[in-house]
Amino acid sequence: MNPIIGIAVKDIKTFFREKETVFWTIAFPVIILLLFTAIFGREVPFTANIGIVDSDNMPLTSNIISAFNNTEIFNVEIFNNKTEALKALNATDVRAVITLPQNFSLNLTTGKNTYALLAIDKTDPEVTHTVANTIKTLFSEFYKEIGNYTEPISVIEETSLMREEIGYREHIVPGMLCYPFLFSSMVAATGAIVYEKHKGTLKKIRASPVRPLHVLFGKTLAALFQTAISILIIAVLAVLVLTPKVNWNVPLMIPIMFLGSMNGIAVGLLISCIGRSPQAASSAATTIGVVLQFFIGMYFPQEFLPTYIQQIGNVIPMTYAVQAIRSIMLQNAVLNDILQPIATLVISAIILYVMGILLYKRWVEKE
Amino acid sequence: MTEKTVIEVEGLVKHYGEVTALDGVSFSVKEGEILGLLGPNGAGKTTLMEILCCLRRFDQGNATVLGFDLIKDSRKVRSSIGFCPQETLLYDLLSVRENFAFAASLYSLDSKKFKERIEFSSKFLGVGEFLNRKVKELSGGMKRRANLAVSIVHDPPVVILDEPTVGFDPNVKREFWELIQDLKNYEKTVLISTHDMFEADELCDRVAIMDKGKIVALDKPDILKETLGGENSIRIKTKEAPRKAVSLLKEYKCMMRDDEIQVFVKNPWRIVPEVSNKLISHGVLTEKIEVVEPTLEDVFIKLTGRRLTEE
Repeated sequence: MNPIIGIAVKDIKTFFREKETVFWTIAFPVIILLLFTAIFGREVPFTANIGIVDSDNMPLTSNIISAFNNTEIFNVEIFNNKTEALKALNATDVRAVITLPQNFSLNLTTGKNTYALLAIDKTDPEVTHTVANTIKTLFSEFYKEIGNYTEPISVIEETSLMREEIGYREHIVPGMLCYPFLFSSMVAATGAIVYEKHKGTLKKIRASPVRPLHVLFGKTLAALFQTAISILIIAVLAVLVLTPKVNWNVPLMIPIMFLGSMNGIAVGLLISCIGRSPQAASSAATTIGVVLQFFIGMYFPQEFLPTYIQQIGNVIPMTYAVQAIRSIMLQNAVLNDILQPIATLVISAIILYVMGILLYKRWVEKE
Repeated sequence: MTEKTVIEVEGLVKHYGEVTALDGVSFSVKEGEILGLLGPNGAGKTTLMEILCCLRRFDQGNATVLGFDLIKDSRKVRSSIGFCPQETLLYDLLSVRENFAFAASLYSLDSKKFKERIEFSSKFLGVGEFLNRKVKELSGGMKRRANLAVSIVHDPPVVILDEPTVGFDPNVKREFWELIQDLKNYEKTVLISTHDMFEADELCDRVAIMDKGKIVALDKPDILKETLGGENSIRIKTKEAPRKAVSLLKEYKCMMRDDEIQVFVKNPWRIVPEVSNKLISHGVLTEKIEVVEPTLEDVFIKLTGRRLTEE
């Protein structure tokens, strides 16, 4: 048998024989998933006041205004001019102001491009997100009915449309699918070297002709397998219990999952090589995992989080895995839409993994 | 026994910071030989063995195993050695067979060779009876046997055993010695470390006595005892009149030590009947007459001024 496979098989068997570890590996994400869905998953009626400035004043624009009124989400207030509307926005009387310019209807009906201006109060990120996306969805519906239409110019950076029936369970499922990057990949990899080092079994491995790199590959393979099992269990549970309305683009999700895992494993290997005892390394990995889960947007979309947390999250590679998975599952993103997070994940995985290899080799050579 | 040199060590030096663990160690081991490294804890035995297994680097000197250089050909060296450290390095949650399979994978053994080795270990080391049991369910003796079997799963020509019988009760220890001696029948060259002088005496073809990172003597146990262990003696304890006994034995070199008489002679076994008869014929009754031969402990004391068991 190949030594890499041999090491992986041994680690996987050992993992599955530690019944308590297996139980908690499965139970913990399940508890979190159900708990967060129970707390945040209630359907809370949401309404917001918005202002509309109809500079076109045509039947079509009247229809749009009626459509906004009929959503039961918005209480629409009509303003005669934009200045007045923006004053109301500043006074927080309305959450957003939509300006429909002159010739809006003419352009739409004659197949030309047009636009709608959107000014929005960004004080509350959650409300901002919901209002902006609902407005975009409504325009998008018009686009589908009428034809040639250009997205309204938005003051918010986000340009993609949200699905209509999106709820907390749809948000948390992609996040929880990324949970094993931290608590399976990272924790398993953390135990990988330090446990063998502590027990002395690493001596036996090192006394054999196996290359250090093969040892790490074997450990990585075992951690990947454990991660895959965790993801599978969470996915099955999500489908059976939460029934989220999400897009399961599995072929596109697998590479992201792999890259997310590799990042987690690489961090775990680094902790493992530094760790002086299994207890110390395990505590470090758990602490890092618990902290990171909030920064990477696992439980809430990143845009819902305070700006400073978003900024910290932006330098953590696993954030991009969560973003990519959420984009695929909630926004039907295709490969082209997630090239940037993929590139970030690839680069960070390579850098972190190479650092892990060098640290391990340095430790071996130091003996 | 052939004269082929299997392990060759020349002027090996190893420092741990300020501490000199090995100070110019040189020796060689011939094919099929059992060489013992005898010394107290901290003498440098484990460091030396770990260097030979390529687990540690050294600062100066040269060493080869089967002609392979420890640094340049470390993978070949590691393939040639079966290393059995002091601790039982098995995975408790796996069965003995699974531990075998894991060790076999480290040496890329194919399934045919693996089966052969399992059969060999079952027969030779008696692991067959507990092959499918988890390691955590085994007794200490079974674990040690399994540990040795797993260490030589790849059928290495050189076996390095670091204090393999520490903590064994005398019966298990003797059983283990027999196993190690049997390795010679399979043409294995064995390097074994111990701080048990009886183990070294019983088991090894030659013994290297180590102290403070140096080899202070290296030879066959009998020669070491003969040349460095001091004289043989007969110890006599009389029921009464020890002074009378001493005067009766004045033709021999003898002295009183505590309440015993010690008679120093070259061939004590030949003299014992004569001494016994002389004492009885003069009405001196004896409680005990025993022959005391020098041990490797005596050799160690002579060389270092300390006992082997002193820390």
